[in-house]
Amino acid sequence: MQGSELQKYFHEPLFIADIKATTKNDAIEELLNLFLETKHIRNRQIVLEMLHTRETLGSTGIGKGVAIPHGRTTAASDVLIAFGKSEAGIDFDAIDGKPVHLFFMVIAPPHDEDNVYLPILGSLVTTLNIKKNRDKLKKVETFKEFLSVITGE
Amino acid sequence: MLKKDLEMLVALQDLDLMIEEADDVEKLGFNITGCSELKNAREELAGRLSKPLLFRYERLRSKLKRAIVPVKNDICLGCFLRQPTSIGTKGREDDEIFTCENCGRMLYWID
Repeated sequence: MQGSELQKYFHEPLFIADIKATTKNDAIEELLNLFLETKHIRNRQIVLEMLHTRETLGSTGIGKGVAIPHGRTTAASDVLIAFGKSEAGIDFDAIDGKPVHLFFMVIAPPHDEDNVYLPILGSLVTTLNIKKNRDKLKKVETFKEFLSVITGE
Repeated sequence: MLKKDLEMLVALQDLDLMIEEADDVEKLGFNITGCSELKNAREELAGRLSKPLLFRYERLRSKLKRAIVPVKNDICLGCFLRQPTSIGTKGREDDEIFTCENCGRMLYWID
């Protein structure tokens, strides 16, 4: 999946240029709240439980200042991605032990018609493995700037 | 069956999906170390459900891959067929668990 195909899963209300959270749990909750505020998810507790359970499987802090908390849940109907940025960085138990600055929360339904969930995760990992992209994302202030990095424009 | 049971089934299915896709997710570059813990948590949760209910869940999962599916705008997101409006009203409010008349999956209203 190309960056240009990824953009339809991002929406401005699911974008935070400056995350307030200072802990891993608070960061997860702050991003999850975006899905609730935009009514993409109704049952907060079920999704929060799923995300915490996912972290017990292994931290979604993949290193290099990036975390991609993700999961499928029966409480969701669409695949969507929230983005948040922390300038100070947050301890997320990342595999390299470094603080996380860039957060992508991917929530997907139990099965998506086009089977895009894993390709989305793969595409995010590929995009974020490139240092130039991470550096640019750390500087974005608006959703428009963010999308231009994701789409590679 | 109570809605409380349905919420446990939803949590169980979310866990099963996570376990099912753990290998694929690891191949993408994620660190997967807690699979056995997750399987234990799954067994613990499954043990809290009544045997007939767990059997029903397992049977649906083996047959249809997803035993419980969201319903949005009266559409079953398992088979994508519209559910009768009357079921939608009851499904959101009643303690009873409803199944899709077309595919047989248990329904979970999310709107």
